[in-house]
Amino acid sequence: MTTSILVYGLVNSVILALIAMGFSLTFGISGVANFAYGGFYLLSGYLTWMLLNYLGLPFALAMLITVAVAGLLGFLTYWVILLRVRGIALSEVIATFALGAGMLEFFRWMGFVTYEFTLPCFMKGRVEIFGVPLDYQRLFIIGIGLALVIFLYFFTHHTRIGLSFRGIAQNERTAISLGIESDWTAALSLALGSAMAAVAAIAILPLGIISINVGYDVLLIAVAVGIIGGLESVPGILIGSLILGYAQVITGMYLAPEWMMVVYLAAIVLVLAIKPSGLFGKFKELEERV
Amino acid sequence: MLEIKNLMVFFENALAINDLSLEVHRGKIVGVLGSNSAGKTTLMNTISGLIIDMKKKEDRKGGERITVLGEIRFEGEDITDTKPSERVKKGIVLSRERHPVFPDSTVEENLKIATYLRKDPQIKKSFEFVYTVFPRLKELRKRKAGFCSGGEQQMLAIGMALMTKPRLLLMDEPLLGLSPAMQQDLIRAIKEIREEGVTILVTEQFARPLLPIIDRGYVIENGTLILTGTGKELMDNPEVKAAYFGL
Repeated sequence: MTTSILVYGLVNSVILALIAMGFSLTFGISGVANFAYGGFYLLSGYLTWMLLNYLGLPFALAMLITVAVAGLLGFLTYWVILLRVRGIALSEVIATFALGAGMLEFFRWMGFVTYEFTLPCFMKGRVEIFGVPLDYQRLFIIGIGLALVIFLYFFTHHTRIGLSFRGIAQNERTAISLGIESDWTAALSLALGSAMAAVAAIAILPLGIISINVGYDVLLIAVAVGIIGGLESVPGILIGSLILGYAQVITGMYLAPEWMMVVYLAAIVLVLAIKPSGLFGKFKELEERV
Repeated sequence: MLEIKNLMVFFENALAINDLSLEVHRGKIVGVLGSNSAGKTTLMNTISGLIIDMKKKEDRKGGERITVLGEIRFEGEDITDTKPSERVKKGIVLSRERHPVFPDSTVEENLKIATYLRKDPQIKKSFEFVYTVFPRLKELRKRKAGFCSGGEQQMLAIGMALMTKPRLLLMDEPLLGLSPAMQQDLIRAIKEIREEGVTILVTEQFARPLLPIIDRGYVIENGTLILTGTGKELMDNPEVKAAYFGL
């Protein structure tokens, strides 16, 4: 029992972190709370499915195309939708939420609601870890989570664009005075966040079926993890995911699985009531933003 | 090199800069002196183009109305409406007041972020130059900028501006809040930067340490130019003495 809580709690935490990272990255850099995040997540799942089943593309190619398309759509979202309301936090949230809901409901309208919508696992089979059976897909998820954290670290510390992201995130006006463009950076941050939603979707969706509700859940997870950890801090996201991930698994085992969703909501309420900027956050206006 | 003609800047209906004209010649150090809220920072933001960015953002969210009238020419070219990144590309860079650096990044990363627009292979040389002018930064290069002292952050802010390889360096109150020793060190640095061929426009509230090194100074009050002269002329001027030296 204890070992399975340990192992599945970790897997669950990594899943939450994977989901939350893109959302929090965009917010940390540009201050945009991208409430279309769930839409991007689900769109990536369906797009991969369509590429595989309608066009018969190889899995690897379908994944690459999906990540690229999600990134491009995120980029366009900034220029087409967000630019007009930039700086008005509430309008940003409403505009992106409407966009996300629109994407999700579009797929419902398309009739993408049956059980045939599943993504293939990267590899079938399972291993035993400390006597706990674990399938390869969940192992891959842990690997991808790790790889993404390492990639992000490298990207934000050693590339020109990544460094400019950190500049804008830390002091926008100084960054601008050095020639970094805030709109361009914000658009790229949306692109990167959306591409990360696609990566998360491709890794996580094979565990179940792709359904519209997943899109709404994903947004809730991203917001919950962000609120607990502090939206703009990577360590915060990781620790927020661990807290939520384990709390959920323990709740699922000792109480009942249907209580697992309540954990997010209770956590949001608790953290906002006690420390509104999140356990590791610095943004004081977080409670106004989300 | 830089020519400003009849510049007027309004925030809503408040006049921040009133019909101001000034010139900066290549290779000189020019000072803009004035007390708090005289319009020094607005002037610097206007020359660096930051105000264009501020105006754009305010317009988008229906905030404060910012109006810029008049003409700014750099090397004969009208740059009044160009955005900050364009001006950095042309060689104008601003080191903002109160040394706003990137606190969670190391000193070295701060300098690296500043090379964002550069594509030439001489970035290494710029690092060397910054570390020669400010040897202290080299010792601190692995430290997070937020943990550096005010003076060190000021050096870093200027160092970052230098990393863009400027031809005209704008410094907004670089001496503000520094100890006299630190001020003297910065004055030395400013001279060294000029010797490297960088033209300098610097604002300051307390002019005493600065006057000996400036070639020309402009005194502004409430956004209006009230006096101009060489550093020496201003030093001997009784009004300046009374107003800015506290004598």
